[in-house]
Amino acid sequence: MINIENYHRPSSISEAVQLLQQGEATIVAGGTDLTPQIEAGARQFESTLINIQRVEEMRGISVTSGRYRIGGLTTVTDILESTTLAADIPVLVEAADHFASPQIRNAATLAGNLCNASPAGDMCIPLLLLDAQVELVSWIDESVSTRRLALCDFFIGPGKTVLQKNELLTAVEFKQPVAGFSASFQKSGPRPALEISTVAMGFAGVLEAGVLRGVRIAIGAVAPTPLRATATELVLEGRSLNESAIAQAVEAVQEEVKPIDDVRASAWYRTHLSGVYIRRALALFQGVTAHAA
Amino acid sequence: MSSIKMGKAIQTSPVFEKKTIIGQRVTKPDAPDKASGRTVYINDMVLPRMLFGKILHCDRVHAKIISIDTSAAKALAGVHAVLTGYDIPELKFGPTRDNRTLKAGKVRCIRDEVAAVAAESEQIAAEAIGLIKVEYEDLPPVFSPTEALKQGAPVVHEDHPDNRSLSYEFSHGDVAAAEVNSDIVIEHEFEVPYVTHCCMGPGCVIADFETNGKLTMYSQTQYPYNYKMDLAPAVGIHPGDIRVIQPPVGGAFGSKLDVYPFEPICALLSKAVGRPVKLTFSREEEFINSPTRQPAEFKIRSGVNKDGTLTFRSVDCLMNNGAYTSWGPTTPVIQMRTFTGHFRVPVVEYKGLAAYTNSVYAGSFRGYGNVQATFVTASVMDMLAEAVGMDPIAFRLKNAQKPGEVTPQGSKLDDCKLRECIEIAAEKTDFLKKYKLYAQDRVNAGRIKHGIGIATSIHNAGGAKIHKSDGCGSILKLDDYARATLITGASEIGQGIDAVLSQIVMEELGIPMSDITIVNNDTALGPWDVGVHASRTTFVTGNSALRAAKAARKQILRAAARQSNVSAEQMDLREGHVVQADNGVSIIKLDKLLRQMHFAEEPELVMVSEYYEPDSELEDKNHVGNLSATWAHGAYVAEVEVDTETGEVKVVKMTAVQDVGRVINRLGIEGQMEGGISVSLGYALSEQLQIKDGKVLNPNFRDYKVPTAPETPEIELHFVESDCKASPLGCKGIAELPAIIPAPAIANAVYNAIGVRFFAPPLTPEKVARALHDQVPDNTQ
Ligand SMILES: Cc1cc2nc3c(=O)[nH]c(=O)nc-3n(C[C@H](O)[C@H](O)[C@H](O)COP(=O)(O)OP(=O)(O)OC[C@H]3O[C@@H](n4cnc5c(N)ncnc54)[C@H](O)[C@@H]3O)c2cc1C
Repeated sequence: MINIENYHRPSSISEAVQLLQQGEATIVAGGTDLTPQIEAGARQFESTLINIQRVEEMRGISVTSGRYRIGGLTTVTDILESTTLAADIPVLVEAADHFASPQIRNAATLAGNLCNASPAGDMCIPLLLLDAQVELVSWIDESVSTRRLALCDFFIGPGKTVLQKNELLTAVEFKQPVAGFSASFQKSGPRPALEISTVAMGFAGVLEAGVLRGVRIAIGAVAPTPLRATATELVLEGRSLNESAIAQAVEAVQEEVKPIDDVRASAWYRTHLSGVYIRRALALFQGVTAHAA
Repeated sequence: MSSIKMGKAIQTSPVFEKKTIIGQRVTKPDAPDKASGRTVYINDMVLPRMLFGKILHCDRVHAKIISIDTSAAKALAGVHAVLTGYDIPELKFGPTRDNRTLKAGKVRCIRDEVAAVAAESEQIAAEAIGLIKVEYEDLPPVFSPTEALKQGAPVVHEDHPDNRSLSYEFSHGDVAAAEVNSDIVIEHEFEVPYVTHCCMGPGCVIADFETNGKLTMYSQTQYPYNYKMDLAPAVGIHPGDIRVIQPPVGGAFGSKLDVYPFEPICALLSKAVGRPVKLTFSREEEFINSPTRQPAEFKIRSGVNKDGTLTFRSVDCLMNNGAYTSWGPTTPVIQMRTFTGHFRVPVVEYKGLAAYTNSVYAGSFRGYGNVQATFVTASVMDMLAEAVGMDPIAFRLKNAQKPGEVTPQGSKLDDCKLRECIEIAAEKTDFLKKYKLYAQDRVNAGRIKHGIGIATSIHNAGGAKIHKSDGCGSILKLDDYARATLITGASEIGQGIDAVLSQIVMEELGIPMSDITIVNNDTALGPWDVGVHASRTTFVTGNSALRAAKAARKQILRAAARQSNVSAEQMDLREGHVVQADNGVSIIKLDKLLRQMHFAEEPELVMVSEYYEPDSELEDKNHVGNLSATWAHGAYVAEVEVDTETGEVKVVKMTAVQDVGRVINRLGIEGQMEGGISVSLGYALSEQLQIKDGKVLNPNFRDYKVPTAPETPEIELHFVESDCKASPLGCKGIAELPAIIPAPAIANAVYNAIGVRFFAPPLTPEKVARALHDQVPDNTQ
């Protein structure tokens, strides 16, 4: 049942967080997660609905002295079409390209994807590779208060984050990756279009004097949250890319993922795919770095 | 050239060449409105004083109803009526009369309707539903048909203590003897899943019970005339007191070929409130409550001699009937024809049995049982070919029937084009070369494996006499402006019959399509028809329209001949004129002639009615008889790529060769075939309504995966035009074969690619990866 008593359309972050501070509010951005959840009865509106679409300062992609900032209201289409990102951080664009359909991408926001905290949220994956931070804003003691937090500490379970009820996710930030950084994104599903990931995998690293450095592996839909596969990263860190390193990485990643059986796939298949994808990611990485060298 | 004097100028009579519209590409008359959003679908309709209905479905699979408390719902402002099964008489309906509208006593599956509400708005109706309290006492459930048939299994219907629903048996020849005499005998088990139609327009009905006791149903039905008959017992009125109006619908595909409880429930709500009531399913309700395709388990034994001659085929089909009987468990009638009559098999045997369970129930779905039969037979044909060391083409050609053969069940293959279809399919795809190459490549390393596969089938293509009548009536009239109106029994559910009928009228009367109106949405106007099913609409209703058009033409030419020195036989109708057939010179404009006829001393209107009944037979009690006026074959070739690591199957190309008799609307036939291929692609690779313990786990488009544009393969179509003698129009029914044949062609192609045979569609990436993994040690481990 829809029991919304108040509807607000703030036009600034300050206005939005003041409204949030009053409590019992639901934030809606693109609504592409919220609406189906409400429709399915999986979730209920609070008495106040806050539509944040008019908070212009939460939109857009910018770079200031090597630090990238993507506003929370930036849509997946904005990311897909960003020439800055295409040039500098193509892995974000790749993830956006695998995301839903044009209609959904036009509405879906980055903040919505992160705050919805689905283990299968696609945009989380490249951002985890980039060691991104989230910016959380609230209204405390009559003023705007901001905290920053590593994205990997943001998720705590399926649909659960450390976001407080009075907080708004305003932006995501990350540093310019180091020279030689190469990253990939893979996503599976029986249907190339409009697919919720069975497994999504991001891989990033740098090849330094023939050995792997700064290895980052992020995997979607194999654990209660988007997963940073740190144990597998360690297996690869400092190694040269030979068959034994690859075989160990496959073994490690299949050990590290903790998937479940659900209507989309079995735990076995997700584990299997994680192995396939890490192997492919490493082959891709090898190809790209060999080409660059 | 003849000329007539007009004022000062001498004007030459216009000349019209003979042109034909049959076989051309014609846009459906409803397309522009649909494309531009003007069409008012039933889901969009609002009637004055209309209320909104909603149903409380049970959340149990098998339980006694202890009590239902509707007091809070009734007290809610805006609620006009709340009904339960205890407020209405027990009115049984359904093909075997085992269903009732609102349940009382007990519930038998997750769909069961326990209460219904009519209210001022959908929101209020939903809120009222939430206020109804039902107390249940759970009963032990049974979900698998095998379990249901065991002694001591929970009983679904007390009057069927053995849980047996419908059963079928057919046999021809001595199977035991044939088996002994066969060089090779193979036996396999197959299982086919629940799939659902996914109509874009979810279930919707508006019922309007008038004060005079008559009922008007605005319905999505695809069989309006029988619908009256089937609905009447559920509502407790005379079929003659029901009028069915068919607004535009968002798809049907067989799902609207029965009466489902929500429709009579809506009528009962309307009766209770004395106002029109509209009831619409949400997408989730649609996934859970609309009928599925019949799931089944098959055991098939087949024999072959070393020279490749088929010796016998014996099939056991066990169907999950679900809690009630709709058309799903009757599909063996069509399925059996393929098992017993596809390819020349001298000895055949078929047994089918449906067992009641506490699962959801199946209806009809494009292909009507033949989808399942073809998946099984086409897979087995490839296995037999391999067993005797023949290629799939040679083996099929060896056993293909010739024109004039009659199958053991009496299907007359007068103009059988099976061989042509196979030969063209093999030639156009360079089948044998690829088939051998891909099979050899299996042993090589490589992530992507290519495969090619063929499948064929047979289907009724001249209607299917499952009722005493399979006919259709047509009324055709022309007005003073030479505008024609065809009032037909044919239903338009998006399949494009309006275009086809317009073409037929245009061809005979020589008037433009834009001057033809088709009226076919009201049982008070239209003459009898048996509905959109069995690939019958173009064949039956088209031939009916042809009769009417020919009769009108005859009347017109007779009148024209009376006032000219040219005989009727030497005249033709072209582009709004009566012309001399040999040179095309206009004799008189048609509208002028029609006015002259109308205002003559002995006035006459062109206003004809005709009825067409195809030349087919009802089956006898042994399932023998020529059920359809004609039969058609098709041969489809799938080319696939299999990712051996992820198990993903990509269909790269589908080549379809089909006997269509004669193409009427080329654009329409292409649309039907492409659409059918898409349906079958989903059946092969991704679609499955996942049902666990009687509950639907994926009632949404996120997890129920219909194919989308990117995975649609390149499609190449070839029409074999046999100019069917049984059809005055020369055409055959074509619409189901495209939804039947592709899936096993894909499975056969996957076998060619990776050497793994799948006995249960869909071939999901996980299933394929698992099979490959189980076959060889996982190289990623
Ligand atoms: C058909 C379909 C296909 C999809 N395909 C994909 C896919 O391929 N990959 C994928 O990852 N996802 C997919 N999704 C899910 C969804 O589109 C994404 O998660 C999307 O990014 C959510 O963004 P939104 O703006 O629509 O969020 P909303 O639905 O508006 O919000 C989602 C949640 O986040 C909260 N929220 C939103 N913004 C903020 C904020 N700034 N601060 C705090 N809380 C906030 C809301 O309160 C809500 O709880 C799909 C959804 C649909 C319907």
